[in-house]
Amino acid sequence: MNIEQLKEQIIDALNLEDLTPNDIDNDAPLFGEGLGLDSIDALELIVLMEKYYGIKLQNPAEGKQIFKSVNTMAAYIDEHRTK
Amino acid sequence: MSLEHDNWKGTTGGMPWMQRTLICWLSVVDQRVIYAIMSVVILFYMLFGHAGYITMYHFYRRCRKESWYRAFGHVYMNHYRFGQVVIDRFAAFGGKKYQFVFDEACRNEYLALGKKEEGFVQLSCHMGNYELAGYSMRQERKKMYPLVFMGETETMMLNRQKMFRENGIEMVPVASDMSHVFVLNNALREGHIASMPGDRVFGSTKSLPCAFMGGTADLPVGPFQMAVTRDLPVVPVFVMKENWNTYRVFSYILMPDNDLPKPLRMQRLAQQFADLMSAMVDRYPTQWFNYFDFVRY
Repeated sequence: MNIEQLKEQIIDALNLEDLTPNDIDNDAPLFGEGLGLDSIDALELIVLMEKYYGIKLQNPAEGKQIFKSVNTMAAYIDEHRTK
Repeated sequence: MSLEHDNWKGTTGGMPWMQRTLICWLSVVDQRVIYAIMSVVILFYMLFGHAGYITMYHFYRRCRKESWYRAFGHVYMNHYRFGQVVIDRFAAFGGKKYQFVFDEACRNEYLALGKKEEGFVQLSCHMGNYELAGYSMRQERKKMYPLVFMGETETMMLNRQKMFRENGIEMVPVASDMSHVFVLNNALREGHIASMPGDRVFGSTKSLPCAFMGGTADLPVGPFQMAVTRDLPVVPVFVMKENWNTYRVFSYILMPDNDLPKPLRMQRLAQQFADLMSAMVDRYPTQWFNYFDFVRY
């Protein structure tokens, strides 16, 4: 999994034009503190996973764990990607 | 989590036992009797419930440029109408059936949309009695997933659940773990309907400022982003009270403009929705039920 590419996709999906991949800490929380994302952004991340990696997230209970940080997202993608 | 307003929580008033009693009464008493009692009670409500009264008075004065006496009359009628729509909801819980009149073109377009594979985002707002129509409207091939707040009493939620279930409607509670986003996204991916308020910012601090009645109103990003991200239509539905047992239903289909960049596509849809709300206020000035400073000047 190319972490830098994933960060670029996140920046693009969420319109975080002021940020570069270097500004995003791999282990920093995506929601709340850290990147400060909220539920509106969760939708973009869900669609990002579907669009680029063919992962259709169905289970709401998994979300919190998957979107904890860039690293947890990347780990989930590695394990479940279909493209 | 939610951007609650100091003066207005947007939930139905009364203790659960009062609501249960009202439902029992309305199953045997004509709701017009309750309307008549309410027409007197409202005067006291206006006298002691200043917050909603003053906000609405300013709405009529500033947004609709009405004279003070006309604005005052409209505030009374607004409270009366609001009482009526709440009573109608309880009457529906008690088994009362209402008539819904559709514009034929609107209805055909709405039903045609329901036959397509793709889902859509249906928008409600705090005008008229959208929820009541939810008990009667249904799409043959699609389930509806309305986003709801869990601030209502148990009586309201249980009755809502019961009536919604009869119409193939699955309530989606707003949750702090964002599970509602997953459920709504799944619903849209499977070609169903995600229904949510288009006039209330919640679960996010982000909003889309739109021109509205001479000022600016902040509309929520969520519904418009959901539609644009999945490239789906937005369908505002207004259910407006015409007389004691009849409501008129208006539905519109708004498509994201794919020639625009994504943020502008959302903004355009939000503005179109704001324009439709504004037109509906012009037509039904006393059925605007956002009891907080909705418009900034």
